[in-house]
Amino acid sequence: MTTKIFRSIIISSMVVLIASLFVASSFIYTYFNKSQATRLKDELSIVAVNVEKYGDEYFDSFKSSVFRLTLIAHDGVVLYDSQANASEMENHLDRQEIDQALKTGKGSSARYSETLGKKTFYEATLLENGNVLRIAIDQLTVTALLVTMTPAVFVVVIIALVLALVMANKMAKKIVKPLNDLDVENLLENNTYDELAPMLNKINRQNRKINNQIQKLNQKSAEFKQITDAMNEGLVLLNKDGVVVSINDAAKKLFGVDDSSVGRDFLTVDRSLEMSSAINKAMEGKHSELREERNGNEYQFIFNRIESEGNTEGVVILFFDITEKAFAERNRKEFTANVSHELKTPLQSIIGSAELLENDLVKPEDTKKFVDNIKKEATRLVSLINDIIDLSQLDENSELNKETVDLYSVTKEVVEALAVLSEQKEVEIEVVGESCKIKGVRRYLYEIIYNLCDNAIRYSKKGGKVIVRLQNKGENKILEVKDNGIGIAAEHQSRIFERFYRVDKSHSKETGGTGLGLSIVKNAVAYHGGKINIDSKVGKGTTITITF
Amino acid sequence: MIIMRSRFDEQLNNLRKKMIEIGAECENMIALSTNALFEGNLENARKVRNEGRKIDILEREIESICLKLLLQQQPVAKDLRIISAALKMVTDMERIGDQAEDIAEIVVSMGGRVVDECIYISLMAEATIKMVTESIDAYVNEDLELAKEVLKHDDLVDEAFVRVKERLINMISENIADGEYALDLLMIAKYFERIGDHATNIAEWVIFSVTGIHLQGE
Repeated sequence: MTTKIFRSIIISSMVVLIASLFVASSFIYTYFNKSQATRLKDELSIVAVNVEKYGDEYFDSFKSSVFRLTLIAHDGVVLYDSQANASEMENHLDRQEIDQALKTGKGSSARYSETLGKKTFYEATLLENGNVLRIAIDQLTVTALLVTMTPAVFVVVIIALVLALVMANKMAKKIVKPLNDLDVENLLENNTYDELAPMLNKINRQNRKINNQIQKLNQKSAEFKQITDAMNEGLVLLNKDGVVVSINDAAKKLFGVDDSSVGRDFLTVDRSLEMSSAINKAMEGKHSELREERNGNEYQFIFNRIESEGNTEGVVILFFDITEKAFAERNRKEFTANVSHELKTPLQSIIGSAELLENDLVKPEDTKKFVDNIKKEATRLVSLINDIIDLSQLDENSELNKETVDLYSVTKEVVEALAVLSEQKEVEIEVVGESCKIKGVRRYLYEIIYNLCDNAIRYSKKGGKVIVRLQNKGENKILEVKDNGIGIAAEHQSRIFERFYRVDKSHSKETGGTGLGLSIVKNAVAYHGGKINIDSKVGKGTTITITF
Repeated sequence: MIIMRSRFDEQLNNLRKKMIEIGAECENMIALSTNALFEGNLENARKVRNEGRKIDILEREIESICLKLLLQQQPVAKDLRIISAALKMVTDMERIGDQAEDIAEIVVSMGGRVVDECIYISLMAEATIKMVTESIDAYVNEDLELAKEVLKHDDLVDEAFVRVKERLINMISENIADGEYALDLLMIAKYFERIGDHATNIAEWVIFSVTGIHLQGE
């Protein structure tokens, strides 16, 4: 802008300078011409008077370097010339000024000589004797005049040019200065040209609008970030080139990256082949899923295309931890397999016995044995089904009426119920401690103690001893069942609460039980908000402590 | 000018992507052949060959991208280093793939006999897989520290190779293993050791592309 203003100032000042030079010189020229003509006329009249008075003698005394004097006869023959030999000159009758003077008494003309680069002014007058007296003066032409003027003009122009340059520069800067000094932050507070006001107003309005929008956008993205970061599920958004647009905290944690991954290719976050092929599939619009183990947990990844008007805009990757779900799934499968197996075995035995009886293949004295067997297996089935019902009730977590139960009295009941079994196994069972009252479901609490004691007796050696201890420890009630039986090896301890898990893989019926007892204990204890602790050594015995 | 630069950036990004892809492919191949080796999974051993073809194709692609970039863009300074380092690294990666393939081939010829006699081989496998993964990670994140870490691991692998050799000599002299089997194991160990060397090379080129200084490999 400064250069443009500068240039226009320079150009306009130069145009003005040249124009004024031209006008001035043309004025001077005309004035010069006029005064020349007047002077020529005056000179001619003086010379004419002298010629009339002195005759030809005057010509001898005429000496002038400026004027040229010519005397021409009425027939055009040159009689005298002050600067040339008259006899050698041609006839002058056809000259304009002579012709005029012969006709009207006075004549004037100006002729331009290309060859000499001069202009000559002629004035002629008719003398009384009929001759024509002519006076002439050479005048420099405009070009010649200008040529002589050039050095002076040149100096003037140079001075003017330098002055113009300096001033134009200063002026241009001065004009632009307010624009350069505009306060961009506070547009309206600027004290500058009025012409700028509408524009400044408009820019100001737009600025405000842009700021508003930026603020809104920031707010929105902050909200989005907050929401996605609070998610437990991992969320990654990719654009159509596979560059990460957004990645939430859960995803960052899983992939072990930080914020710098935003704006980079997803390959830099994770380059596993399964992942990239799933992303490519999603880019093509096919929904894809992937299950992968990461950092010891199992994750399910879901890839979906983000589309807008049928075009792929990117891919969203959502994933969540399915470790527990997968575990539960495996457990359920195992459980179903176990249940069918456990149900089938007694049934097969019943069917076998019944078939033998049906076909009279049993000796009469053995009939009772077979019927007993059928009864025993059927009882086993019933207790198994009861256990399963108990477990499924606990699984459903149905709200049951809670009442205040004294664990001590429940334990006494259990011991009574197990008296027969303990006698059979020759195991002594003893209850020690104090009365512990807790709020709970009596049936479940009974099951807990029954199953623990039942196990303790079953897995005790002959002559063993089981001690049930009840204790109040502040808020907590502690139930401890201690035996000196066969014990549980460390590798089994974590698994004995699983359904149908048996330390003895042969599923031997020697010790009896359904394999669901401890599972019921675990669920019932969890139902009451308690904790189970096992302390066991193979061959020395087991202590199971439950803290409510 | 800006348009040209952005086109150049796009090509560089593409190169980077392909490099990560071939790196992932290498990791996958080693994982497959190691799995075949220790679990006796012949299915995986056969898969390795297919993957090897993919690596060859990727290698050609990367080479042509690099040459095109060098010719058309005439890069300087860091851009030039990145491209020339990629050109070198891709060779190492291809070699890693080849060696993984070789291991798988030996596994197949052994008929899926599970290797469990020699604990140092599995140590070597673990260490080399880690080296390859880390060297590619270092490339992906331009992580100098990680690249230097890889260089240190190489000593471990070399040490493990010596141990494997000693153990195998013992096995042969005590007649625990037959000669052919021992030789196969020695080859496998050597291949792992070579993979470790290639990973070291990759790490060195990563350092070169970041700093412009190429460490002299021992």
